[in-house]
Amino acid sequence: MMLEAREITFSFGQTVALRGATVIVYPGEILAVMGPSGSGKSTLLHCLAGILVPDRGEISFAGQRLDTLDEGARSALRRDRFGFVFQFGQLVPELTAQENVALPLLLGGTSRSAAMGEAAAWFSRLGLDGLERRRSGELSGGEAQRVALARGLVSRPEVLFADEPTGALDSLAGEQVMELLTATARERNATVVLVTHEPRVAAYADREVIVRDGRVTSAVSVAL
Amino acid sequence: MIPLALRLTVAGGREALTRLVAIVLAVAIGVALLLATLAGINAVNAQNARYAWLETGFTPESRTARQGVDPLWWQVTGDTYDGKTIARVDLAATGSHAPIPPGIAHLPGPGEFYTSPAMSALLRRTPTAQLGDRYVGRQVGTIANSALPAPDSLVIVVGRTVADLSRIGLAERVTAISTTVPSSCSDCPAAIGINANGITLVLSVVALAILFPVLILIATATRLAATRREQRFAAMRLVGATPRQVSLISAVEAATATVAGIALGFPLFFAIRAPLAGIPFTGAPFFPSDLSLTLLDVLIVAIGLPVAAASAAWIALRRVQISPLGVTRRVTPRPPRAYRLIPLVAGILQLAYFTVVGPPETTGGQTIAYVAGFGLILVGLICAGPWLTMTGARVAARRARWPAALLAGRRLADNPQAGFRAISGLVLALFVTSVSVGVITTLVAAAGPSSGAATSGTMVNYFWRDSAGQLVSSVPSVPTSTITNLNAIDGVTGVTVIYQKPAVRPDQAGPDGLVLCAQLTQTPAIGRCSPGATVAAIDSKFGNGFGRRSTFDQAVWPSAPITPEALAALPVHVLVVSTNGSTAAVETVRTELENAFPRRFPPDTLSSISPDSNRLLAGYKQLADVVILVSLPIAGCSLAVAVAAGLTERKRPFSVLRLTGVPVAMLRRVVALETVVPLVLTATVSIAVGFLAAQLFLHAQLDQTLVAPGPQYYVIVAVGLVAALAILGSTLPMLSRITGPEAVRFD
Repeated sequence: MMLEAREITFSFGQTVALRGATVIVYPGEILAVMGPSGSGKSTLLHCLAGILVPDRGEISFAGQRLDTLDEGARSALRRDRFGFVFQFGQLVPELTAQENVALPLLLGGTSRSAAMGEAAAWFSRLGLDGLERRRSGELSGGEAQRVALARGLVSRPEVLFADEPTGALDSLAGEQVMELLTATARERNATVVLVTHEPRVAAYADREVIVRDGRVTSAVSVAL
Repeated sequence: MIPLALRLTVAGGREALTRLVAIVLAVAIGVALLLATLAGINAVNAQNARYAWLETGFTPESRTARQGVDPLWWQVTGDTYDGKTIARVDLAATGSHAPIPPGIAHLPGPGEFYTSPAMSALLRRTPTAQLGDRYVGRQVGTIANSALPAPDSLVIVVGRTVADLSRIGLAERVTAISTTVPSSCSDCPAAIGINANGITLVLSVVALAILFPVLILIATATRLAATRREQRFAAMRLVGATPRQVSLISAVEAATATVAGIALGFPLFFAIRAPLAGIPFTGAPFFPSDLSLTLLDVLIVAIGLPVAAASAAWIALRRVQISPLGVTRRVTPRPPRAYRLIPLVAGILQLAYFTVVGPPETTGGQTIAYVAGFGLILVGLICAGPWLTMTGARVAARRARWPAALLAGRRLADNPQAGFRAISGLVLALFVTSVSVGVITTLVAAAGPSSGAATSGTMVNYFWRDSAGQLVSSVPSVPTSTITNLNAIDGVTGVTVIYQKPAVRPDQAGPDGLVLCAQLTQTPAIGRCSPGATVAAIDSKFGNGFGRRSTFDQAVWPSAPITPEALAALPVHVLVVSTNGSTAAVETVRTELENAFPRRFPPDTLSSISPDSNRLLAGYKQLADVVILVSLPIAGCSLAVAVAAGLTERKRPFSVLRLTGVPVAMLRRVVALETVVPLVLTATVSIAVGFLAAQLFLHAQLDQTLVAPGPQYYVIVAVGLVAALAILGSTLPMLSRITGPEAVRFD
């Protein structure tokens, strides 16, 4: 298995978001995490990605405990082995689109020229040619999401975490982003954890789990 | 990582650039003022050092016998012309190996003198009877600047014969020129020179008063676009930046802005150096070169400030945990508690403590005590401000009748720190203004009303007084020719001779002199005889202040049982000459008296026995004006930056409100109320605390009671508040511009 959450609980102050959630993510699969608003699906993704540390329970990544790592080690993991695409691009507004894509590599110590070169390759791959020097405020929602996708994939992650990646897009732009995301992930044999409440988006996944009241209540395999 | 941080700092878009420029300007102003303060302290010391040679004769080092050195007869006199002090050095060498004072190449021979450039100019433009006749001989050279305390110093070195000078009882035989500065010389009479320690105390308070608003401005500018920065850091954390990397980026940003501010601050300091040198806050202006910096000063500013800025940024980020999902505070923000009043109360209590037990004895102790007290109050106002703001906002929200008042009240109550931050600079400036104006107004009032012609035109020549007011000598009689000469001077209206009362020492209380009533009528400024008296007993001190308060014109002196004939046989104690008050008459009388009775303490007018203290007071007034003029605009800048920052931070919620139909006018009212409510509340507290602190200081240090300030103060406060409202008004048009529908779009 690639990722495993076992009996994890997590609370925001008095509000309990996860109540003993358990889920397994297999290598190379695209897993859709579905559920109604406030069910805890985003919190589950954040715990799996090492952004949040569960109050109880265990998280493992490639056989290694993730929840016991310190903040620096989890940051390194996010930088080197994980990629992220969230509902809002989470782009750094002061940087150009190309610099945003190169950012994980720059943070990892790659030289500027190498990082920018690597980033440039993703622009043509994702149909973003000509947008390299634009800032996030000058991009459309779909363009910003594709830049975020490029940034999520540039460090060749083993796992790509996508939290409502099409939530702010119209259906056409949403489909374009999902097609690119899944196609690139399959091409790279990357595992994808995809949080969504839209069945249309979940349809791109290999398997679905449903989160309700902080628990993973069911798992559904999707025939490809 | 550092190149990336630099890239984000200098090319991070318009907001980042605005923030950078604001911080750079704020730091530049701070650096310039800090350098000016350090240079000011150096200048006081440099000026003080150039007074040292004028203390020759008073210090033991100058009187120690030395092999191979011919002693020099030496006498320093604090002379006066039209309210300005003249340092007069009379000297006579006993041989060719006598020491030479600084600033001149050779000792002047008998009948020769050297003068400072300002003294030369004064001699040239003044009739000789008023000044030049005091210095017999010819000018043989000019004293170099290296020996002059100030560019406008009036100094004259007069050559005399040994026989001539040794005849004057107070001349000393010296073997070396003194290098002991006045403030370190316990035996020096302080007739000439400055109290450098006291001035350093004033300068420390002034520096504190100016630097505090600057620090507020820097802090406000640093918080510009804080939310945006924190979002950016969160995005970086999401893609794997470690907390250390984020801290490093923040520290590089802060250090870059500080380095740029320092680079701008140094030229700014040199630009203001010349005008600063002209402010006579020691009683005399500085040479611009006096305002110099030591290598240590430069290193402290050039290296210390960026390190301090980077450290502050590092610490600030440690307080705010930048999570990959956004910003979370380590500590849940709680409403400010009443304990925030403790530093303010502690500062007031500290000043009050010295009113009970008295001020510390040493100047150093006083410096620490008052700087700590005022510093504590300044910090206390900053700490108490949010609590006061919250308290006022809660009351305002409870009683709100309009949506704008409700919104503003709730927002202020929820985040009083942000509301107070905008006006904190102004609150401190008002405190500083209240203290400065309160103290200065009281000192001016204590110095008495501006002297009338009677006191300013009445010249008094004491024959007995030395530095401690003890009897030194008297003259058996005043030559008739002197009386004739004095009466012949144009503008002289009378001459009165006060005789020494037998068996009464002049330093004892009560009338110590006797005066002929026929003469006393000619000098009405020192009172009149009781009806029917021929001879009256009179207090030759004219009160403790030597008549400065000019109250003796109403005095009625009792009759004394002595005949005019017996009176004429007594030694002469004081000579009083009444004039019409014109400079020509007063200075001609002074010249006549000095030549007739050469003494260490020359004659002076009743109204200006201590012209130095008046001049020092004028210097302090000017300095207080500088503080007010500097701190108020800086506070205004802080307000503008803070209001603009607040609007930018909240453009999204405001935009959403507009989209839901809230008119811009109401948003403007919300923003205006958010500033006006805390401003009125905390400004009132600040002014009240300012006057209280001034009263405590005056009572403890000078045993005086605060005098209500004049209209000038209310004008300053009104101008400050109107300017604040104008600044606020100038930012409001920004509101409609930045809260368009596009601001709701998430990027």
